Amino acid sequence: MDGRVILRLEQLFGKERVLTNQTDLMTYSYDASFATQLEPKEPEIVVIPQSTEEISACVKLANEYQVPLYPRGAGTAQTGGPVPVMGGIVMDLSRMNRILEIDHKNMQAIIEPGVVQANLNNALKEYGLFFPPDPGSAKMCTIGGMVANNSSGLRAVKYGNTRFYVLGLEVVLPTGDVIVTGGSKSKALKSVSGYDLAHLMVGSEGTLGIITKLRLKVLPLPSRRGIVLCSFSKLEQAGEAVNELFRSGILPSALEIMDQQCTKAANLMRPQLALPENEALLVIEADGSKEEVASQVKRITEVISKFTDYVKFSDEPEECQQLWQARQIVGAATGRLKPGGFRVYGGEDICVPLSRLPETLRKIHEIARSYNIVCAIYGHIGDGNLHTSPVINRRDKEEIENAKKMIEDIHRLAIEMEGTTTAEHGVGIVRAQYMEIEHGTALEVMKAIKRTLDPNNILNPGKMALPV
Amino acid sequence: MKQLTTVESMYSCVRCGACREACPTLSITGREADGPRGRVLMARNLIEGVIPVNDEIKEQLDRCLLCSACVDACPVDVAVPDIVMMAKEKISEVRPQEGVTGIVGKWVFRKLLPFPKRLQKLGHLLWIYQKSGLQMVVRKLRVLKLLSESLQQMERAMPEILPPSRRNPHPLFTPSDRKDLKGSSHSAPRAALFQGCIMDMMFRSTNENTIRFLAQSGFDVVTPGQQVCCGALHTHNGEKDTALELAKRNIEVFEQANVDYIVSNAGGCGAMLREYEELFRDDPEWLPRARQFCQKVKDVSEVAVQKGTIPQAAGQGERITYQPSCHLQYVMGVKDAPKKILRSVADAQYVELPEAGYCCGSAGIYNLLQEQMANDILDKKMGNVAKTRANVIVTANPGCLLQMKMGIERAGMQGSVEAVHIVDYIVEAMERNKQSQTAEDQEELQKQSV
Repeated sequence: MDGRVILRLEQLFGKERVLTNQTDLMTYSYDASFATQLEPKEPEIVVIPQSTEEISACVKLANEYQVPLYPRGAGTAQTGGPVPVMGGIVMDLSRMNRILEIDHKNMQAIIEPGVVQANLNNALKEYGLFFPPDPGSAKMCTIGGMVANNSSGLRAVKYGNTRFYVLGLEVVLPTGDVIVTGGSKSKALKSVSGYDLAHLMVGSEGTLGIITKLRLKVLPLPSRRGIVLCSFSKLEQAGEAVNELFRSGILPSALEIMDQQCTKAANLMRPQLALPENEALLVIEADGSKEEVASQVKRITEVISKFTDYVKFSDEPEECQQLWQARQIVGAATGRLKPGGFRVYGGEDICVPLSRLPETLRKIHEIARSYNIVCAIYGHIGDGNLHTSPVINRRDKEEIENAKKMIEDIHRLAIEMEGTTTAEHGVGIVRAQYMEIEHGTALEVMKAIKRTLDPNNILNPGKMALPV
Repeated sequence: MKQLTTVESMYSCVRCGACREACPTLSITGREADGPRGRVLMARNLIEGVIPVNDEIKEQLDRCLLCSACVDACPVDVAVPDIVMMAKEKISEVRPQEGVTGIVGKWVFRKLLPFPKRLQKLGHLLWIYQKSGLQMVVRKLRVLKLLSESLQQMERAMPEILPPSRRNPHPLFTPSDRKDLKGSSHSAPRAALFQGCIMDMMFRSTNENTIRFLAQSGFDVVTPGQQVCCGALHTHNGEKDTALELAKRNIEVFEQANVDYIVSNAGGCGAMLREYEELFRDDPEWLPRARQFCQKVKDVSEVAVQKGTIPQAAGQGERITYQPSCHLQYVMGVKDAPKKILRSVADAQYVELPEAGYCCGSAGIYNLLQEQMANDILDKKMGNVAKTRANVIVTANPGCLLQMKMGIERAGMQGSVEAVHIVDYIVEAMERNKQSQTAEDQEELQKQSV
């Protein structure tokens, strides 16, 4: 690294916000992915900006010295997305975390990219509003990161993913120029004026620009929720039940599946749950007003009862909390399936057509068995998104190798099932190898867009199978 | 006992980041190395020998408050403070602390804290310091400021030490105030006061008030005279052998006391007492005794809410807020009991402190060792206190209490805000209530006689 770069960065940010210590570089070598656990990638410099102007100047400087630059939020990605695979500068945006305006009259919020999802929702609650996309990491992930990865979560089945809530973005382009998408002065809730650049940025994973300000659409916060918990002896019955729910005109706010290993894990962690360890457990949520929830819960229960006798339901807040517990703890609980178990985040985000879900679940378990790996699967059955959770011993080298092969097989399976390798987490480095097979010639268009916006290949290089 | 050993827990971190929003130091600097994930990786790399012991890594690990907020937030209970301590032990093996700090530290840990009588003598000296005019001289000359600004502020926050004549041993037995049991064959539950070492010397009246509070709440209170320091400071400073000796002594003493509960009024001590089981993890002889001991350990507010009654108390129209002790809320898991007690006070308004989950920066002697960070944390805390517009900050641990007093000085809130220990606050309010009750009763009697 050219010594002048550090000097110039220090002039720009002040010494306090330019980090070059060994320990600092070490701690920016990872995100939440399994891949970076195994192969951390250290940056040469870390900077912590506080304004759009600083970011723009920094990007221009990176262009001047031809140094790669990697934007990063809270580092909760499971894809290696924010790690510096080619050296250079990591830009930690988590300190730009101000909520600039809650414009409740216009049903929108204007925020900086480092605002954590849960913090925005806490602030919105006062106004009876909410920002619906809810990844499992809502308590720690930044909304800048959510937009960059177009993430979603449990309630995507009803509310969709982050994309639907992005009205406009302020973006520092890879050249350092600043643009505002979605209308530079607009506060409109809908606009079809011009190319939809805001949504070009959504899911671009920091390769096309650094998001510095966000204008987000928010919705009225439902006052209540109800939960239906039901168990099925066969996976196929669960699949049919979900299909029947949709055909009966019911759209739940969450529609979650846990397989046998998951219920086993949840029981291990909280024995008082006493869940039946059948092939499939569904946890279904309805939201709305008190009356709406009561009637929805009743209708859901009627439909489900055609397929199984094990149905529990409630629309009382405390009981709902009880019924929801199983789903709430499952991610952490899977580690209990094996003494000293380590839950691997890999092959964790595939999505397949609803009609092929039971088949896919069975095939994943076959793959796991062939590598002799303990594996639990849960996910958003309402949109076909499965979170596979292999559990290994973190210090067993052979098991690590097997887990890698298993992850590869699961991704191939998703494509074979007419699905995708990633529904809400992103591509980063861990799924770059499937970009061509998933997109064919469309990948060439993506590459062309990248080359046009980022001629020097400065922003987040080495990701998403884009040119390096 | 914890489900995972420290090493197992170190390898269980999947770096999901759930700890990020809980960490006070990360909230100040935003540097990943000031957060729990970063610390686990740095500690692991050090323990595995991937990186050598050097000043940089030592300084980084020393910045952890060991507050355990991250453990509370972690879905798989990664024991970050234990992991950081393990790495720090490795550092002190390679380079034992030398010079004055090392010698003084060893003397304090081995020769002072374990001996209640020596502490009382130190108490005498401090009392003389405060009463002889020396304190005034020190303050006027600003001698301490030359050493460190925090030390100066801490000296000012130091409570008034009671004279030796008022620091006799606590009564061995104080009967419960429960009137319904008088003359009945049922006896009140027995609670032993864990008096602490520094606590009993510097906050003597808080201990006396704890006895009063427990008796009023319906417990027979026992205060075994032979008890010793809990060993928390020793464990946090790599003096594990002394900690084990102290733990054994306390287990014996409280076994003999034959009580239902062992009650602490300092979150830091209570958390350590609860960890005795962990301390004897590999000692089959002491483990069962430690386990039994731990099951009896309760915080004073917890035991009153769960097993006693909340005494009636009355304020005088003040706004109160509560700064939790980290060890109390995260290690002992006592979160709501103190709030429940405070909400029950008549004629006082309880206000929730924003970002109360963050440590106040006291953290043992952290505020002396990491002055800058501790002050940044404290200033942020005082900003939140100002938002509540409270007149009283209630705390549940002596370290937090001193820190909040320092914070009040730093923020220039003297006169408008005071910091108190929950027991002292409640006992005063309890007595105020009693007085007004008596006054009312007398009025009633007078009316009847008229």
